[in-house]
Amino acid sequence: MDVSSVRLEDRLAGEAPGGGQVDPTPMFGTWHNTDKQTGGIVRMVLAERNSIFIVHAWAAGFPDLHDWGEAAATAHAANVHSHEGMAFSAVYDFGFVETILAAYTKSGILVLDTFNTFKDGSGRSNYFTREFFYR
Amino acid sequence: MPSLQISRTRDTIAGTEGTGPRPVHSVDLAPLMGTWVNFDSAATGIHHLEIADRNGQLVVRTWGTGSPEPQGWGEVVAEPFTDGVALHTAVAFRAAYDHGFARVMLASYLNKRLLVVDAYTIFQDGSGRSPYFQRDHFYIP
Repeated sequence: MDVSSVRLEDRLAGEAPGGGQVDPTPMFGTWHNTDKQTGGIVRMVLAERNSIFIVHAWAAGFPDLHDWGEAAATAHAANVHSHEGMAFSAVYDFGFVETILAAYTKSGILVLDTFNTFKDGSGRSNYFTREFFYR
Repeated sequence: MPSLQISRTRDTIAGTEGTGPRPVHSVDLAPLMGTWVNFDSAATGIHHLEIADRNGQLVVRTWGTGSPEPQGWGEVVAEPFTDGVALHTAVAFRAAYDHGFARVMLASYLNKRLLVVDAYTIFQDGSGRSPYFQRDHFYIP
């Protein structure tokens, strides 16, 4: 099959395409931050809701955690042939700040990057975080 | 003065909880500038990137691996990120490419003088290829 590509990894190696579906279930569960003192995301639940892959995050706060609610997530595999989810991306838009989650799993650890863009004119710098989670 | 809204503790500026807006500072893009080459000469993902400051705007040019030559992806405006709400030095960026047949989000950060680029690719051409994640590491020769 002749398909478009912008790098070698995009190319198919002869096997029949699998419909472009990625199974997110290998990532399902409750993931806890390895840093008990984090000022970022404390835990996340990855699950399926009405056939949609979702993330539900809770972030550090006082006296209670900030419940971010659920957001739809997109599962990614390790290559174009695989159907096993090992990474995901998702977006939370809180109005005053937009947070993009970009995460991957490796050896039982989930590595989460967040890219945070303020939209409220507060003068706060847009910032990046990188945190680690276990199940 | 209204309190700042927060989504987590890190959104607060230390010692100034409850205070209002602050002056906007520009972000120092210098740590990201340069031509970044993939450490892995046999890489199948991104071959190299050129990152520049154009009138205060972060721009990224990307080349994917190819045969016989790397494939130019063109230039996009990227968004720089610091390490915290009160800091002003870029340590990461995010950029998006829409190639038509596929969309690629580059989620990248500096680790000392190593540039880590995670590419999240979603195909939109009905080719049956899976969305995939790929990580590459870059240095400035």
